[in-house]
Amino acid sequence: MITVAAISLNVAILIAAYGLMDGMMKHLVANVTNLVAGEVQIHAPKYLVDRSMYKTIQDPMEILARLKRRGIEGAARSYGYGLVACGNKSAGALFWGVDPAREKEAFDLADHVASGQYLETAPQKEIVIGRKLARSLHAKVGSEVVIVVQAADGSLGNDLYTVRGILKAAGDQIDRNGAFMHRQDFQELFVSGGRIHEIALNTRGTVPLPALKGIAAAASPHADVKSWRQLMPALSDMVNFFDAGMWLFGMIFFLAAALGVMNTMLMSTFERIREFGILKAIGTSPWRILGDVAAESYLLSLLSTIIGGIIGVGLSLYLRDKGLDTSLFIPKDAAVSVSGIAFDPVWRATISLKTIFSPIIMMWFISVIASLYPAAIAARLEPVKAMTRV
Amino acid sequence: MNNLSGMKRSSLFLLLFSFLAPLFCAHAAESLNAKKILDKVDDLFRGNSSKGVMTMKIVTVHWTRTLKVEWWSEGKDKSLMRILSPKKEKGTATLRVGNDIWNYLPKVNRIIKLPSSMMSASWMGSHFTNDDLVKESRMADDYTFELTSEGAGKNPKVLEVTCYPKPDAAVVWGKILVVVRAVDYLPVKILYYDEDRKLVRIMHFSHIGPLGNRVLPKVMRIVPEDKPNEMTEITYEAMTFDLPLPARTFSLRSLRQ
Repeated sequence: MITVAAISLNVAILIAAYGLMDGMMKHLVANVTNLVAGEVQIHAPKYLVDRSMYKTIQDPMEILARLKRRGIEGAARSYGYGLVACGNKSAGALFWGVDPAREKEAFDLADHVASGQYLETAPQKEIVIGRKLARSLHAKVGSEVVIVVQAADGSLGNDLYTVRGILKAAGDQIDRNGAFMHRQDFQELFVSGGRIHEIALNTRGTVPLPALKGIAAAASPHADVKSWRQLMPALSDMVNFFDAGMWLFGMIFFLAAALGVMNTMLMSTFERIREFGILKAIGTSPWRILGDVAAESYLLSLLSTIIGGIIGVGLSLYLRDKGLDTSLFIPKDAAVSVSGIAFDPVWRATISLKTIFSPIIMMWFISVIASLYPAAIAARLEPVKAMTRV
Repeated sequence: MNNLSGMKRSSLFLLLFSFLAPLFCAHAAESLNAKKILDKVDDLFRGNSSKGVMTMKIVTVHWTRTLKVEWWSEGKDKSLMRILSPKKEKGTATLRVGNDIWNYLPKVNRIIKLPSSMMSASWMGSHFTNDDLVKESRMADDYTFELTSEGAGKNPKVLEVTCYPKPDAAVVWGKILVVVRAVDYLPVKILYYDEDRKLVRIMHFSHIGPLGNRVLPKVMRIVPEDKPNEMTEITYEAMTFDLPLPARTFSLRSLRQ
């Protein structure tokens, strides 16, 4: 009974823990990809090497249309460097020429505004800027700023803009020098025509990454298609590291469970040592005894993993729907962020075949293996010695 | 950050100073000729004050444009520069006083101050950096020099001076090679090398003729070694030296005019 309880509890805890860890990683990745980066990005070949304004994607609108037909949301962006000045302060910035309607549809950045609002659907000579950029410019919502850039034709592009919104923390790059404007305004400022430097795709996890990459590559034959794992290797490494950590964590549990099963089976073997002796004496083969003991532990672990599985799924369901409110453990004002991306303080689990079945199958397997040692002892008993014991 | 270049139009005159300043290496033990050559090259465009008009042709793989610029300068650290053409940039002006640089943008009628982080950005999309314009001749003491003949070969019409930075000198270049005409020590070309002694850019001088009350090369062309298809060429059209300039010439108010 104790063994059943121990194994069940192990399985239940593992399922819930796997669910929580998996949930955390998915949440982290989704936070980054849904915000603005997307799951897959399309660029002109070698664009990412120097981000040259002249390396543009061919037929970007055609690519977007093709992807839309396959149900994939995406947004096209133009990039250019320049100077933004507010009063007597000035700073370098990376300007994003965006289509606000598409951005709102595919990404979350538009809802990620600390003060003011995100861009209007129509061009109004307004910009939305990162929070650190706003701080260094002493800019507020409604501030007038001068933007000076070197346009694509070499001329000096300059114009007055109004700050429409200041973003919340959105990663260091955007915080420090991100400035978003309507793509039409961008084209006028940079004399850039229809130059598009990036198409970011986001399905919010509904299309698996390799499949999404394949679709994107098929839709944009002359471009370079990269997944977030390639674009953000640090994040990808972190996810891999977490996965490895999950396995290590699981192994410790499995080891503990295996020792528990072995202990129980040893105890019950020694308890019944005389019975095994008699069985041997009446001519039962060692293999038969081995099989019997193994079958017993098989049933024991089957029962335990079923009970543990039910409890574990129940726990995961609760954690998925209600989550763990980590804000209880964190000071109220502390911003919960990982590499600059704001975090939801409620930590939720995810449930997948992987998080449920990998603990169940592993635990069941380990239990059966662990029972082989006591079973082998029982099988190798000398009948006379066994019967005369105790 | 090539595209931040439009920010600054400091005086080309000062630009020249900054390039030639390192060559002014007064090292007593060196040959008299080498010192004379460097002095000549260094003082070429130097005066208490100056004004002039020049055209700057910038050729890159993506575009080619020509700017006509009027400038005034005084001492080593004051200059004002105003674009006369093309039309889009007409009236755009840059004021430099010491290490501070302001730009006036007529289209939006605003003055903006260039942040110090922009100093290493390219200037006006040309092959000069903003830093090139600001540096003063304090590098003069940073180089040792001698008369050599490596680049110029055995051509008797030219002389060559090689400059190496002194060990503790905080300078950009690892080596500078100056080639001048033997007759009058007017510069033919200057080669700039990085710390690994790798050629970075070459400045060519040509079209020697009267300018102001001096005889000077009227055309200066800079070619980056890694982009041989690109260049920036400056042609001096008019130049006056040592003229009286009112103090208000180098003020934010005159920047707007």
